[in-house]
Amino acid sequence: MGILVFISVLLVAACGLIYELVAGTLASYLVGDSVFQFSTIIGTYLFAMGIGSALSRYINRGLANRFVWIELLLGVIGGFSSALLMLAFAFTQGFELILYALVLVMGVLVGLEIPLLMRIVRDRYQFRDVIAHVLTFDYLGALGASLLFPILLVPRLGLVRSAMLFGLINAGVALWSTFLFANQLSATRGLRAACLVVLCALGAGMAQARQITATAEDNIYADEIIFARDTHYQHLVLTRFKDDLRLFLNSHLQFSSRDEYRYHESLVHPGLAAVPAPRRVLILGGGDGLAVREILKYPQVESITLVDLDPEMTRIFSTNPMLTKLNDKSLLSPRVHVINADAFPWVDSNTDNFDFIVIDFPDPTNYSLGKLYTTAFYRAVSRHLSAQGFVAVQSTSPMFARDSFWCIAETLKQAGLQTYPYHVYVPSFGEWGFVLAGTHGYVPPKSLPAGLRFVSVDGLPALFQFPPDMAPLPMPANQLNSQVLVRTYENDWKDISH
Amino acid sequence: MKLGRRKFLGLGSAALVGLSLKSGKKIEGSFVNDSFQMGHLLRGRAGFPAARRIEKFPVVIVGGGIAGLSAAWRLRKRGFTDFVLLEMNAQPGGNARWDENEITAYPWAAHYVPVPGPRAEYVRELFEDLGVLKNAQWEERYLAFSPQERLFLYGRWQEGIEPAIGLTRKDRDQFQRLENLFSKFRKSGSFTVPLELGRSSQFQYLDRISFSDWLRQQGFDSRLLNWYMNYACRDDYGALASDTSAWAGIHYFSSRESEEKGPLTWPEGNGWITRRLLERVGANIRTSQMVDRITQTRRGARVFAGDTEYRAEFVIFAAPTFLAPYLLVDFPQLQDFVYSPWLTANLTLDRYPESRGAEPSWDTVFLDSPTLGYVDAMHQSLRTHVDRTVWTVYWALAEGAPAQNRQLLLEKDWAYWKEAILHDLERVHSDIRQCVSRIDIMRMGHAMIRPAVGAIFSVERRRLRRLNDRILFANSDLSGISIFEEAQYRGVEAAQKLLKRLHG
Repeated sequence: MGILVFISVLLVAACGLIYELVAGTLASYLVGDSVFQFSTIIGTYLFAMGIGSALSRYINRGLANRFVWIELLLGVIGGFSSALLMLAFAFTQGFELILYALVLVMGVLVGLEIPLLMRIVRDRYQFRDVIAHVLTFDYLGALGASLLFPILLVPRLGLVRSAMLFGLINAGVALWSTFLFANQLSATRGLRAACLVVLCALGAGMAQARQITATAEDNIYADEIIFARDTHYQHLVLTRFKDDLRLFLNSHLQFSSRDEYRYHESLVHPGLAAVPAPRRVLILGGGDGLAVREILKYPQVESITLVDLDPEMTRIFSTNPMLTKLNDKSLLSPRVHVINADAFPWVDSNTDNFDFIVIDFPDPTNYSLGKLYTTAFYRAVSRHLSAQGFVAVQSTSPMFARDSFWCIAETLKQAGLQTYPYHVYVPSFGEWGFVLAGTHGYVPPKSLPAGLRFVSVDGLPALFQFPPDMAPLPMPANQLNSQVLVRTYENDWKDISH
Repeated sequence: MKLGRRKFLGLGSAALVGLSLKSGKKIEGSFVNDSFQMGHLLRGRAGFPAARRIEKFPVVIVGGGIAGLSAAWRLRKRGFTDFVLLEMNAQPGGNARWDENEITAYPWAAHYVPVPGPRAEYVRELFEDLGVLKNAQWEERYLAFSPQERLFLYGRWQEGIEPAIGLTRKDRDQFQRLENLFSKFRKSGSFTVPLELGRSSQFQYLDRISFSDWLRQQGFDSRLLNWYMNYACRDDYGALASDTSAWAGIHYFSSRESEEKGPLTWPEGNGWITRRLLERVGANIRTSQMVDRITQTRRGARVFAGDTEYRAEFVIFAAPTFLAPYLLVDFPQLQDFVYSPWLTANLTLDRYPESRGAEPSWDTVFLDSPTLGYVDAMHQSLRTHVDRTVWTVYWALAEGAPAQNRQLLLEKDWAYWKEAILHDLERVHSDIRQCVSRIDIMRMGHAMIRPAVGAIFSVERRRLRRLNDRILFANSDLSGISIFEEAQYRGVEAAQKLLKRLHG
């Protein structure tokens, strides 16, 4: 009998620790700042355990009954805590409130457990043995749980099911206790019935866990996540809603499959169609292969060199059926050469000439990316431009980041190029801007490849007109030693986002 | 019972978020480029081999630091190639030495040159030669990338080294008033780079007191202001403000008005300039040639190094001038040449430490640190994604007497300095020990000349500068401050003087 009691202690201790770890991990996942989350959750939890211990002295009658009820309550609350928190984050504003309320309640209940249990068994042993044994198994349980959690539970079961599994164990201990302490219990049959109800509920929860997680995540990311990966360089998320695929890099939207043709046609055709007999094309960035798809519409183009930092990115866009459908398997074309390299050093060391160059980098959100929007970079790029050639640069939004857009245009100008800024409307982005640059004058093309959905010969001149709210502003050029663009960009977006 | 469990819960969870104390990653490293032994050999004057060979050159340059290399550069540029440069170390460069590993090149000492003003003609000429200055434009990729500098104070980061947060009204007023004073000195035209072109007796009184005394006299008692002034003196002179001539302290702030946001820098610091100079004059250089004696004759000089006697018409002595009494017969002991001991360390990092929201900068400084902070060699990389890097930690042993600190440099082992450096970095980067895999340390007993009180207008210095004998002195210590521009100026000037005499 003795050992069975102490195994209960071990299991109870393990459950208590798991709930705490689940709360901390979930808060870190969802809100971030893991140090803060773990610190405050551990603190709150321990504090609540103190409250529980203090409260235990007010429980004077029916110790065993109350112990069973506490276990059941913990089983339910702890077991469903993870699912509840996920749904709370997805559907409510008060995630933190619910988080700390749950932690507090669970802590109080866990704090009650051990004092009650010690008092239940104190008549059977000497006081010092009770203390020694209970504490020994308490610590052992905590050790087991803390090892299981990161090694087995999180990777194999996930947070929702881990919590439920331990809820089941809690309820199991409750049921087991009705037999262990049968002689100290009243209304035993009712208790056992309650135990069974809780066990069934948690069992059903386990079976439905995947659905719960999916529901919550769907709501967190608006659309269903069909692909998420941390590559060496970035966090890559692909979502789908009906037939709309969206790619996010470090949570910045890169394209929506519904309107990306507007973006990519505009990035490529105004420039490329104006180059007489383009043979060689270079793309910097653009690992999604969508700009390549547009360029492949020119049969004269013999070779397309795509330089993208992230091999994962180009691999996924070469192999995933959904994505290759979107880019028409462009990256698999024999005319395309994919090079995974950092753009600036590559541009510096390569000596080839190109008739058209596409620069399609993420917006200049940090100093590292900012280097790719400097006079130094554009000078290096322009050395690769053939006499008839043009460069097309994605240049963020002239509407939302007007200073930044004109800063990029000025930078290209001070790098010694003639510039031709233009803009288009891409619904998922809003007004978007590009700068076409070259060493000679630009005349809009008189013909375009067949089958374009947005860019047209008649519509081209209008793209180069800027209404007053996006009109040019005097801006300094962006240089490596000033990085004015990164600061400008931050200010631009600070004004309009929360 | 709660206490025990609390502890346990704490540790268990901490392990999950990566706060656990890992059992100390192994950090390799050693002392490198030690030259104590050679120096002490000279002092002992023991056991130098007799010369077995005689070689004749019209000109011998002793010392392959920036002064010597610049003299060589000027000679060759003027079409004079019949000379040899003797360098004691295996690697030329002196305070512009560098090294590289599989990650990047990195500096061993000087790591930048402020964008030269219009009066630094020789520096501008050199930079035009090296492609740093093209069509009156400074090459962008050689200017320090933004963000350049950051300071850690009160648990926070700020951009720039001059303290800008946590200032009281009084602090602000004093910074402003001091800047106004510096601005006046700047306008006087007496504080120039190179020194020679501006120095006037009008401000000689400033060379008679220490910088800290001058600040006190002017009523500057702000703690932050004094920290910053001390930082500047430690950084450029390896000395505290109380051991620095007020003239030199003022010069630091009043000698430059930049036409472009700089400074000029490279991954290997001024080692980049050394490399470019070696491409131009390398053929004339012999390394690991320790000169042990120089004698003057009626029509020239003899330079003894190893088993060779070099017979020259002229010698440019570009090595630190404190060596002259050991090398030259009957050379008087020097009084006005005090040198600051330094230590630099190159740390190989397998990853950057957690930055707590601050953008990695070129130069990082901690308020109230005994060190001068560190410089990130990968900052000048053009890559957008950098995993590994090398940091150069600078440490001028300014507190206390130089001789005592040289003793300290000699006595303490590598592990002592490694721990001292990690402790300092740990105050700001708590996970630094998990990032560093190697620490190499270079000890320099006489790293740079110290512009102590009286050094700038020293009569002894002036005499050596004006000497127009068979032996011409060219080290930057003749100027009294140890900066690239002075070394280069002294080297080029010596070469000019010599060319004039050679060609009559």
